[in-house]
Amino acid sequence: MSSAGVLEVAEVTRVQLFSEGGDTWLALAPEVTLLSGLVLLFIVPNLGDAKWRIPLTQVRFPVLFGGRRFTATSDPRLPAMLAIATLLLALWQALISQGADAKTWLLTSGSGAEANILLRVDAFSRIFEIMFYAALLLAAVASIDRLPARRAGSEIQQLIDNRRQVDFYLLLLMTAFGMSIVTMSMDLFVLFIGLEIASLSIYVLVAFHKETPEGAEGGVKYFIVGAVSSAVALYGISLLYLWNGNLQLLSNSATGQIGLVERWSEMESLVGLPLIAFCFVLVGFAFKVSAAPFHFAAPDAYSGASSTVAGILATASKAMGFIGLIRILVMLAAPADGSAVWMFGLGVIAVVTMTWGNLAALSSSNPKRMLAYSSIAHAGYMLAALAALGAWAWGGENDVLNSAPTDAGQWILTALIFHLVVLVAFKLGAFLVLALLETEGEVNDTAPLAGLARRDPIVAVSMFIFMLALAGVPPLAGFMSKFLLISGVVKMSAGDAFVAIAAGDGWSLGQMHWTFWLALAVFLNSALSLFYYLRIGVIMFFEVPSEDRRKPLNKAWFLRLSIWACAIGTVIFGVWSDHLINLCHNAALAVL
Amino acid sequence: MRDREFALIAGLLAISAVLMYVFPSFAVENSAGQIDWVTLPLVAFPIIAGSVLMAFASMQPYRLKERIGQPIKLISLAFGLMMLGISSGLLFGWLESINWDLSQYNRYELEFEYAWMQSIGVSWHVGLDGLSFSMVWLTTVLIPIVMITTWEEKMGWYHHPLILMMGGALIGVFVALDFFMFYVFWELTLVPMFFLILKWGGDDRRYAAQKFFIYTFSGSLVMLLGIITLYFLQPSSQALIDQGVLTGRTFDMTQMAIGAQAAANADIAWLGINMQKALFLTFLLGFLVKLPAVPFHTWLPDAHVQAPTAGSMLLAGVMLKMGGYGLFRVCATLFPEALLEYQWLLLTIGMVSLVYGSFVCLGQTNLKRLVAFSSVSHMGIILLGIATMEPLGFAGAIFMMFAHGIISPLLFAVAGAFKHHYHTLEIGSMRGMAKHSPWLATFMMFGWMASLGLPLLAGFVAEITVLIAFWKAFGWWVILPGITLMVTAAYYIWSMQKTIFEGGDAGEMPESLGGKPAPDISMWEVSGMMLLAMLTVLFGVLPWIFFDMMTGYAFGLFDGILLNVIGGGA
Repeated sequence: MSSAGVLEVAEVTRVQLFSEGGDTWLALAPEVTLLSGLVLLFIVPNLGDAKWRIPLTQVRFPVLFGGRRFTATSDPRLPAMLAIATLLLALWQALISQGADAKTWLLTSGSGAEANILLRVDAFSRIFEIMFYAALLLAAVASIDRLPARRAGSEIQQLIDNRRQVDFYLLLLMTAFGMSIVTMSMDLFVLFIGLEIASLSIYVLVAFHKETPEGAEGGVKYFIVGAVSSAVALYGISLLYLWNGNLQLLSNSATGQIGLVERWSEMESLVGLPLIAFCFVLVGFAFKVSAAPFHFAAPDAYSGASSTVAGILATASKAMGFIGLIRILVMLAAPADGSAVWMFGLGVIAVVTMTWGNLAALSSSNPKRMLAYSSIAHAGYMLAALAALGAWAWGGENDVLNSAPTDAGQWILTALIFHLVVLVAFKLGAFLVLALLETEGEVNDTAPLAGLARRDPIVAVSMFIFMLALAGVPPLAGFMSKFLLISGVVKMSAGDAFVAIAAGDGWSLGQMHWTFWLALAVFLNSALSLFYYLRIGVIMFFEVPSEDRRKPLNKAWFLRLSIWACAIGTVIFGVWSDHLINLCHNAALAVL
Repeated sequence: MRDREFALIAGLLAISAVLMYVFPSFAVENSAGQIDWVTLPLVAFPIIAGSVLMAFASMQPYRLKERIGQPIKLISLAFGLMMLGISSGLLFGWLESINWDLSQYNRYELEFEYAWMQSIGVSWHVGLDGLSFSMVWLTTVLIPIVMITTWEEKMGWYHHPLILMMGGALIGVFVALDFFMFYVFWELTLVPMFFLILKWGGDDRRYAAQKFFIYTFSGSLVMLLGIITLYFLQPSSQALIDQGVLTGRTFDMTQMAIGAQAAANADIAWLGINMQKALFLTFLLGFLVKLPAVPFHTWLPDAHVQAPTAGSMLLAGVMLKMGGYGLFRVCATLFPEALLEYQWLLLTIGMVSLVYGSFVCLGQTNLKRLVAFSSVSHMGIILLGIATMEPLGFAGAIFMMFAHGIISPLLFAVAGAFKHHYHTLEIGSMRGMAKHSPWLATFMMFGWMASLGLPLLAGFVAEITVLIAFWKAFGWWVILPGITLMVTAAYYIWSMQKTIFEGGDAGEMPESLGGKPAPDISMWEVSGMMLLAMLTVLFGVLPWIFFDMMTGYAFGLFDGILLNVIGGGA
């Protein structure tokens, strides 16, 4: 569907993937960077003095790959530096491509107008790339201290950690790569490939610290449940292929190939096959965003994984799921007129999710589990906004239509993207504080947090800032994002109220679309959630530190640097978020 | 090392002093040629200074605790006094020549608007009028007094900076003319108060701090829904979209007031009567929880009893007034038809609060809880003043906010001194305080008399005004609040008589003192209470200093919009 307020893009360029000329590499610059980093990460620590003997001679040819590793390149601290440099470079490339004259690239599978569009690089994909790379960068920087690599280590744990460096950072870069593909994909199969690349890496990351029973258990649970839901989603995708004949989202006028979007909007009435397929695909993405009732693996995964990885799960992985949801809900299944078929179901799921998440968090004593449930609740808030987006053209019998649903839909998408971006600041920040506490022992209950204010006031205040931001207390970023989400819901459900009022006709609360009450549900749940967020604050500021945690907290400068960056980001995006809102608005315009 | 520390502190002091005095040359002038005295020195600097002081203090090693505490308190007090200087200068015309008594609907002095978040239509819009200036002056006078009263108690490094931050956030609420800004500061006030209760409160402070935060936050969330709905019911303006506002609407209160006035002039209900009533109720819920009014008052006794002296003084003195202020700034200004429709509701809730608060006081044995419930009943008088829909009633209600804001900190200072020196708050636990603690007894008697409405003290002016307006509006029904005020006198005099006068020659001491001699209050507490007492007398004898601007505001409100609504009957 085309929208009235289309972003004035400088140009839309079609480029065949891997064609001559460097256009592919220009468009996919961050992904190329990531791949190069991956290759380097694989090769550099393995550079050694291996020699290959030419057969039938005594000449030994230095292969440089294998053998006794060179001391310079096998430094266990090197993989971290490589990964961080790669992510920094990718982030920088994504940031500078956000300029006003940014091009929109369409990367196709063949040349000419008949080729299928596989990837689209536009404002939407760029902002999510920025978000993913920023989140993974923060996690990578934090991991320097969380997964320390020391040159001369003799303890078993140290040796194990040294050996694991390459694996960990390799998986981080793979995750980043997979997530980039997800944001750019215009074809459901490409989306699935990207999703799986990222998901498989995350499954291994969750189970990474397999020394603890919770770690192994969380990893296995997450992997099994994730694999099952991916399988269900793939089945749904294959049914869509059966129905449509191709998995393109957009239609191709040159070949006459009808994409999924157009095929769906052409449906006169709901046909069984695409509807069932759609539900299956929804299941896969609902697991990724941990919506009820597909969220059961999330608390175990978050509490079993190390806190940095749990933070990635809560921010980047969830955003990946929401991108998928946006693609199939907003692009695919939103009609040109009438409300979306999934609206009511999604509204129910949203309310159940947020309530379940908040109630379960209230009774959790494990801080990681509590944060897992809180991120389930936040997923519920975002799903409520998405549900309101489905109220495309309501009214009907009242003769008052929402005459500008696209505007309201754009506003909801803006809010959604904003929320996902700033979630990195305070959600990942909260997990990083827990990671700092994990460097001195396991964090399985609230005892490590007790009296943190006395041990380390700055870290305690940062944690409290993150908690307040999660609850939605001004003037922090969490308040801004929740505010924007609710304003999106109200805008859609108020519809043309302002026109009616300006014309002098009355308007009453009962004439609002029923999704207005979703906004009230979000607010009531926010009030409910304040309880457990404040409880963390009270534990930190009120209680006395437990016996085995009386010494000063670890220095861990890189981890602290990440925490400070997150805290500053939370405050700044709460007080001055104009630029980010405009960026998100551009991204939303690119979708709707 | 010590010299470096003090050099740093002295440097901070000097820099802040220089900033405060030099900034006028950098400041912006508005169209009326006034300098922006509000944004930086009254709102931003206290919050920033408080945060910087706390961050500085948190980085010091523990052994320096005693030496750092004094300079930090001095710097906080210096900021408080500078804020008081500025607001008094504005009051008496030393800084700007403003006639505060001339008030028009939707006209503000020192009105400044800065772009803040263009994309959603939020601007930093501040302004003062007869309603808000009295509250701002009240806050700036209370901050130094609260600091002085709690000067010598062992409160650590963070206590006084938190009070300073509290002051900045409170002033931010009163000067905000943009709904987003209003809400941000409304919630921002909760955070320092939460910490004040949590760190320095009574035995049950953990429960009380959380209850206070969550209860008032929930009420405000409903108000936020009202704010957002109000925002989207405004017409979308293409001019604003061209300027970069993505939704084409603003959160500006003054723009909405213009629209409301235009609608009232045309004899139609602004936004339609149904939506106006719905919005009025959402805002009303937030304000009633803050006031607090029965049945949303249950957070107040816990919060007050457990809060430390400074927290209680600020909570009762200024924070509760935010609810009353909001009723005027939002409900009376923007939703006049709904106010008329729900006049009966305000009347009922006001009467219930007044009566319930007074009668519950009769049965209290805890001194702080007694004063807390008396606050509930005095807030009921504010609601009654608004319910009269008379200019005099409005002015009386605003003056009640002001007078209660001076008297009730005095009451809580007395109660706090009681707790501090006798380690108990039980009313019956001691007799004959006049004999061994004459200063405390004097101020207790003074405060109690002021609160029950003794003439020549500030409380009387407020009460008599509201009662006269009540008679004008409702005739002989005025007997009901009148009799309740007698009950108010009853519980005050009863508790006074028990505590101050009985007990023979030496008086009975509470067991919590354990046989040690009875202390009298310190010089610092005497100073703070004396200042409050003098202010009470001042505004009892010369109430016109602020009453004139309040009546000006009330008449401006009525001439501007309310007379249209009442007369026209929209």
